[in-house]
Amino acid sequence: MIDIKKEIQQDRRAFIKKVLGGTIAGSLLLVIPATAQEVAEEIPGMRAEDSVFTKKKFVFIVDITACIGCGSCCVADKAEYNVPDHNYRTWVERYIIDDHDGVYVDSPNGGLDGYTKPREGLPYPTRDTFFVPKLCNMCEDPSCVQVCPVGATYKTNDGFVLVDKTRCVGCSYCIQACPYSVRFINPVTRTAEKCTWCYHRVRKGLLPACVSVCPVHARKFGDLSDKTSEVWKILHEPHVISVLKPDMGNKPALHYLGLRREVV
Amino acid sequence: MHSESKTKYYSHLVKLIIAMIVLGVAGFFARQLFSPESMGEYGHYRGADIEDQKNVPVRLQTNESCFQCHKPVRRIHKKGVHKSVSCEVCHGPYADHVKDGKKIGMLPVKKGKEITHLCLRCHNKVIQARPRTSIKMVGMPEHLQEKKVRIENTCDQCHMVHDPLLWINQAKEMIGIKEEM
Amino acid sequence: MSALAAHGGTVAALSNYVFPNDWHVHWSLMIVLYPYITGIVAGAFIVSSLYHVFGIKQLEPISRYSLIFALAFLACATWPLLLHLGHPERSYSMLITPNPTSAMAGFGFIYSAYFILLVHEILFIYRPTMVTLWKQSTGFKRWLYGFLAFNNDNLSPEAIRLDHRIISFLAGIGIPMACILHGYVGFIFGGIKANPLWATPLMPLIFLLSACVSGIAGIIFSYILIKKFTGQEIDVDCVRTSIKFLWGFFILDFVFEMLEVFTHFYMNTHHWHVLENLLWGPLYNTYWLYQVKIFSVIPFIVLGVLSLFKFKDRVILFFAPIVSFMILIQVLLMRWNVVVGGQLMSHSTRGQVTFVPEWLGREGILVAIFIMIAPVVILFILSKIFPLWVNKEAANEQPIT
Repeated sequence: MIDIKKEIQQDRRAFIKKVLGGTIAGSLLLVIPATAQEVAEEIPGMRAEDSVFTKKKFVFIVDITACIGCGSCCVADKAEYNVPDHNYRTWVERYIIDDHDGVYVDSPNGGLDGYTKPREGLPYPTRDTFFVPKLCNMCEDPSCVQVCPVGATYKTNDGFVLVDKTRCVGCSYCIQACPYSVRFINPVTRTAEKCTWCYHRVRKGLLPACVSVCPVHARKFGDLSDKTSEVWKILHEPHVISVLKPDMGNKPALHYLGLRREVV
Repeated sequence: MHSESKTKYYSHLVKLIIAMIVLGVAGFFARQLFSPESMGEYGHYRGADIEDQKNVPVRLQTNESCFQCHKPVRRIHKKGVHKSVSCEVCHGPYADHVKDGKKIGMLPVKKGKEITHLCLRCHNKVIQARPRTSIKMVGMPEHLQEKKVRIENTCDQCHMVHDPLLWINQAKEMIGIKEEM
Repeated sequence: MSALAAHGGTVAALSNYVFPNDWHVHWSLMIVLYPYITGIVAGAFIVSSLYHVFGIKQLEPISRYSLIFALAFLACATWPLLLHLGHPERSYSMLITPNPTSAMAGFGFIYSAYFILLVHEILFIYRPTMVTLWKQSTGFKRWLYGFLAFNNDNLSPEAIRLDHRIISFLAGIGIPMACILHGYVGFIFGGIKANPLWATPLMPLIFLLSACVSGIAGIIFSYILIKKFTGQEIDVDCVRTSIKFLWGFFILDFVFEMLEVFTHFYMNTHHWHVLENLLWGPLYNTYWLYQVKIFSVIPFIVLGVLSLFKFKDRVILFFAPIVSFMILIQVLLMRWNVVVGGQLMSHSTRGQVTFVPEWLGREGILVAIFIMIAPVVILFILSKIFPLWVNKEAANEQPIT
């Protein structure tokens, strides 16, 4: 008890010091950590990659049996990219399946504000409920890349589907073509935008923002060519693993662990 | 109809063919001139965009980044059950707070009901879709009634938000000691 | 689904789920107008070809007019596209760096090629007329007509023969080009596998047939209107023949439209369950009530009666513009139901949105009205340069067969 009080007091003191910032000690406190700012590498071997494309094969796995629908990923995503309101690079859906096979899905504000209320007025008792986070599927055969008239959206040799916002003409054809509706027109830049699996973070050795904030580790990201990686292990174990809309033929690199057939 | 024409009967066709050739050549050069420089370097896209994409600023850092300054919180947060919770989800992105090692702005401090709302994003029992086993679920206001505290209490009045069980465990320990005595 | 239907509207509302990004309808009025206008162009060109290539002599009075009509609309075809683009200033990229796998990237080329072809077909057909006007006029007009006659006033038999050869060549490749132009527009939609309403190989065919229908209807409607307002004599025989062609094309168009829906209904796959919710949901009025019941069935019957029975000229001239106008509305509704309708179902396959176009704004109703008036203005200007009607002066011109 005494310990914690001391700690809190310390914290306050540090806080006051920072705000005032007048004393030398105070400014030192601000400056010193800056030199040691470098964060540890989260993707092994990533910072050693110096070629245009990495040699890695990235996959994203979402464990829907683990997701608690807190929406942290959505908050992080919006903060990372300043995503304009009512547009979503990632979102979380709530599925409710009743015992008459009725499926009820909702995603108020894309799950950005979390789920605070249960669904009301459903006609039958519930059989199963779960959350499904959605993001770019990073297809091997991306429809968006196929239809882009000017080559503004493209797939890199290491599997990332990206949008060149300096070349996008804003025709919205890619939005029509994406079976997963992960794209939108950014009302500020008037160009198409979508989840990039945080390409800029990954290239710096950091995990995607949504993966790094997920409190229950429902979002997993890693290199499939690294046999020690978690994603390699998951994909080599007898789990129920599927992708969304497999009959579209897009061959997504986004895999779902414990996916139910009702999910589209 | 008219007096005999001085022009050749096929002259308009010749003019047309010349115009077509000129147009074609102009188109070819326009293509060379207006294509982005690194177009087609790796595929049908502007190759230099890879570099642009890499240079998108990172706005969210890791908890460790925050702990570099906020050392007292580090000791609490890393030991508790909330160790997997991201600082920035509740407090806001690192980039709005620190730039080039200097503090550039204050992140809003959550108070009272805002804290309760944040807690209930994860711990609300009525959202049945949540896996019931992974984290502790509470119903509101049943939890407050059960613990015999006032209904308008906010979560942080009993739970240290960075380690929710810290005070509870400490209190239990003290009560335990008392009981032993 | 049946369990849900039994519970009526409330449960239907509960089960309606739209992907968060699908609340926006990105392709609105402008993209409705774009296939509408190119369709009218392709259809009008077909009318002209019926005379110039297939030798339907009754259509001679409108053979030239329909080409100028097509040009007036073609001149405006790209406007709605440019208004729709987020970055119209970058649209040149579609020509400079077209993506070979994109169904959209070809449009710039097909459009440009067709534009060049149409202009030249017009210029070659009109050359004798241009030369005459060139020699008659002075000042700017003289320069203009000289330019339009390629500064070649040679009208000797060998020159005319050469012109005819070029015209037959242009008309010959013009028909497949017109079909490609509009079949291609259908393919832009038909190639989108993610959209159950669009993804059908019949889409280019339906677009093409409806294009022919709208072009012929547009020609009949405007021909009768212009002639009435300018107090000129109407060639009723020409109108009768046009009506027959309109009916013929409309039979094919309407039957294919219905067959497409019926086949999906009969196969009754998941695909149909998604479509069903759309056609009996947000699209019910614009599709079943307006497009099918009012603006397809009624013109279908009226056209049939007008084609099969011999009526007095007065009756034909009364019903022809009305029924043509209804057909024009039918095709516009069809474009709306395809373009906007397709976007009203979310890719979640579980929900629909509704869409009401805005009045103001870049893609609003006012701009749409302006774009539909623009071809009429252009047609008026073109009519000052190109005599629209085949008169005695050009009567020696023969159809190319």
